[in-house]
Amino acid sequence: MGAPVKGKLLDLILVLGGLLMIAPLVWLIVNALSEPINAFQLPPQWIPRPPTLQNFQQVPDLIPFAQMGWNSLQIAVLTTAGALLTSALAAYAFNRLRFPGRDQIFSVLLAALVVPVQLTVVPIFIMMRWLHLVDTTVAIWLPALVNVFGIFFLRQYISSIPRELDEAAIMDGAGHFWILFRVILPLARPGLTALGIFVFEASWNNFFWPYIFLSSPEKMTLPVGLVSLQGAMGGGPAVVLFAAITLVVLPILVLFLIFQRSFIASIASTGIRA
Amino acid sequence: MTDGATIRAVVNTFVFALASVVTHIGLGMLLALGVHRTMTRGTKYFVRTAYFFPFLVSWAAVALIWKYVLDPAFGLANYYLSTTTNWLASPTWALPTLIVVDWWHTIGYTFIILLAGLQTVPAQLHEAARVDGANAWWRFWSVTLPVMSPTIFFATVITFIGAFQIFDPMVIMTQGGPDGATRSIVQYTYEKGFQSFEVGYAAALSLVLFVVIMVVTGLQFRLSRRWVHQ
Repeated sequence: MGAPVKGKLLDLILVLGGLLMIAPLVWLIVNALSEPINAFQLPPQWIPRPPTLQNFQQVPDLIPFAQMGWNSLQIAVLTTAGALLTSALAAYAFNRLRFPGRDQIFSVLLAALVVPVQLTVVPIFIMMRWLHLVDTTVAIWLPALVNVFGIFFLRQYISSIPRELDEAAIMDGAGHFWILFRVILPLARPGLTALGIFVFEASWNNFFWPYIFLSSPEKMTLPVGLVSLQGAMGGGPAVVLFAAITLVVLPILVLFLIFQRSFIASIASTGIRA
Repeated sequence: MTDGATIRAVVNTFVFALASVVTHIGLGMLLALGVHRTMTRGTKYFVRTAYFFPFLVSWAAVALIWKYVLDPAFGLANYYLSTTTNWLASPTWALPTLIVVDWWHTIGYTFIILLAGLQTVPAQLHEAARVDGANAWWRFWSVTLPVMSPTIFFATVITFIGAFQIFDPMVIMTQGGPDGATRSIVQYTYEKGFQSFEVGYAAALSLVLFVVIMVVTGLQFRLSRRWVHQ
């Protein structure tokens, strides 16, 4: 077999594999767009005939979808903004300032990097109960305002920015906040973007934490809301659930197609797995 | 702590994590090598996007979609595989099925990481090996693999830690069943701490998780000195 033929064959296998990968997602969207009597047919349908939006209209009758979307968005935005701010401040302190115990504190933080969040959920749950914050969105974003990985990642990033720039600013009479916000962070923008994309995505998709802390439908985030919808439907039409899942999944896929380049760069540089 | 359920959960988690690492790294490497060739732009774009898409979908949505894909009555899987297996209700198949679903969900991540590593292998090294008469397999073994070893190591550690914390698909798809066949450590912790309110037991279980992750990660770092090029 010649090399070009072999190459074409490999291309074909990869493309068929790719089609297989997206098949469940296509099936999801096709069924979400189908009338209940036409959905889930065998052999499976790959084009909705005729397409309808009626399933989407029924989603709000079963779960407070808009409220859940707002909760998810609010939590993701607060978490991302908070984590970026605290990580930048701490990263600056750990890289640019000298204070007693700096390196010891930093190594304790590094140890916290390998502690899974699942380990902290029981004590934090007890704390949140004392504070009467269980079943509020605060319980989700408050513990996420400090992100140990973010501190570590930005510290690495900032350490590659030349100190001469700080010194020049100090000569001009600049304080630490000025140096951080006017000199260092503008130069660290790719790092901040990469971290921001990932903190946002991890928060948006998070299931474990909201599942444990949130129980009222109007407090839930979308991933927990979807699972509660499945429980609430009983024998109801799965097409409505599929419509709700589509509403959660489709915006992310479209955003990815638009920002693919920075998204992939973000993974390749941070290596974070949500 | 030595009751059957705990041991079962620890064993399940180990099986899941081991299978997850092997399938992610092995097939992820094949995929990365497959895409890192001359191909038309369109083909490359499609393949990269298609394998990455599932990673963007939250576990909650993934688990719900797959529950229907695997449905014995009207699911996609059984229609195309022409069987009537009830995958998630079978004590034999439930855990392997979750391993497949997890693979589908996160292979895009492993693939992108490994592809990025593959792109750092200098072309001159390959050229030099080619001039020395090394065939494709030998070039992979003596050039690509050593240069990529830090990336492979990183992907292995991250996949392992992620797999050890698995929770979402078990809770949503099988509730740990049938008969504990898919119960993971974190899920058991959740059941003990938040369903039967044995907080002390739950705390002890999460400590087991922590120790296991620390020991295995430490071991991986120790072993890495033998094969990872610094």
